[in-house]
Amino acid sequence: MDRGTPLVKGGKAEGLSGSGTTSGKVPVAGAGGWQNGHSEPQRAAAQWQEERTRSLEDNQLSLPSLEAAYSAILRGLGEDPERQGLLKTPWRAATAMQFFTKGYQEKISDILNDAIFDEDHDEMVIVKDIDMFSMCEHHLVPFIGKVSIGYLPNRKVIGVSKLARIVEIYSRRLQVQERLTKQIAKAITEALQPAGVGVVIEATHMCMVMRGVQKMNSKTVTSTMLGVFREDPKTREEFLTLIRN
Amino acid sequence: MEYAKQIVTPDMNGVCCAKNFVASCFEGFGDQAFEPKKVTVQWKEEKAPSGADALAALEGAYTSILRGLGENPERQGLLKTPRRAAKAMQFFTKGYQDSIPDILNDAIFDEDHDEIVIVKNIDMFSLCEHHLVPFFGKVHIGYLPNKKVVGLSKLARIVEIYSRRLQVQERLTKQIAVAITEALKPAGVAVVIEATHMCMVMRGVQKINSKTLTSTMLGVFREDQKTREEFLTLAKE
Repeated sequence: MDRGTPLVKGGKAEGLSGSGTTSGKVPVAGAGGWQNGHSEPQRAAAQWQEERTRSLEDNQLSLPSLEAAYSAILRGLGEDPERQGLLKTPWRAATAMQFFTKGYQEKISDILNDAIFDEDHDEMVIVKDIDMFSMCEHHLVPFIGKVSIGYLPNRKVIGVSKLARIVEIYSRRLQVQERLTKQIAKAITEALQPAGVGVVIEATHMCMVMRGVQKMNSKTVTSTMLGVFREDPKTREEFLTLIRN
Repeated sequence: MEYAKQIVTPDMNGVCCAKNFVASCFEGFGDQAFEPKKVTVQWKEEKAPSGADALAALEGAYTSILRGLGENPERQGLLKTPRRAAKAMQFFTKGYQDSIPDILNDAIFDEDHDEIVIVKNIDMFSLCEHHLVPFFGKVHIGYLPNKKVVGLSKLARIVEIYSRRLQVQERLTKQIAVAITEALKPAGVAVVIEATHMCMVMRGVQKINSKTLTSTMLGVFREDQKTREEFLTLAKE
């Protein structure tokens, strides 16, 4: 996927060029072909290196321009930014939008480093119905839903809340549901090198419900199956059955 | 007989004075004398529509927002996003351009019906004026006709006009009730809104299952408990 050149103030343009340090968990070439995805070893930069970094300082620096933009939006809509209810709205909307995109400020390596444990467990682990809130990158309107994650450990398990934190990092961005699903799956793969990972997201897109086609009850379901979840139908079926009940 | 008029002054953000709202703001509702001061029918507060220049300004603002968030507006997924977001936002606030008389004028009928009429579970989508984040839910409307009934879809259209704005749920509830009152002069109007606020769910306190309920009871729905109870029972089922 092409994410272009990130524009981050403060000189922290890590982006696609890869950051200087990783957590040391770059997948080892040859250690289970599928876990390196389809990329060659030199292109197997851990997905974590592709994360943008935006700092709290960046947020402070860009707040005035965001506020000005929201004031312009209020005027452009024919509203009166001076009326009591709207006086602080540009600031509130700007900080809200920064919160909705705080995934850009976080790195997987920061949240995962301590919570991977050696455990001799070879049955499926599922965390389901993780509430997810994201912003559609096409309309800047929320889409909300639930994420269910399953993985088959390969000697390493992860703290279960970390799965939810991975969802948070990638969902709190301008997203496309398909990409979000894949990013979550790949992050877990890179962190744990499990035998398989399955991620299913079921979401309601406000851009479809509040405008456009206006189909109130429609839901969008996407899934990513990696490793044994992709190759073995029985494993996949077990996962899908367990998350349905 | 003139339409019941609502006392609105410019500093009220289109909302009438909360203090003497029920009784003195409308003819026929209370004993208090209605002073013919300078009044503005609520509908006249509707704002002027925005033109093509407004769209360009909105697009510029959204491009600047994308940059300010640290994103790259040139990447493929975001190339047309400013335009889409601007048009989406204009859609979400299209209530400013619609006017109640346009949608209501033809659909008020003389009918000798004196029982409660309820339209419930009207889906409502609005934008919180504080955070510019959606809140959505269901609206239940009931009214007790006084020789006039209104086409049922018009109740839903009234909800649309007022919800497609930058809103506060309390004001939205009241505006819907007032609009029905002005149009029909019924014996009473009740409006209940139950909504989920994304500004509370997606950020801030982050309480996912919380719902906000507001209601406006006018006329017999306010004065007579049994009537109110009947409405609430029928609307809740």
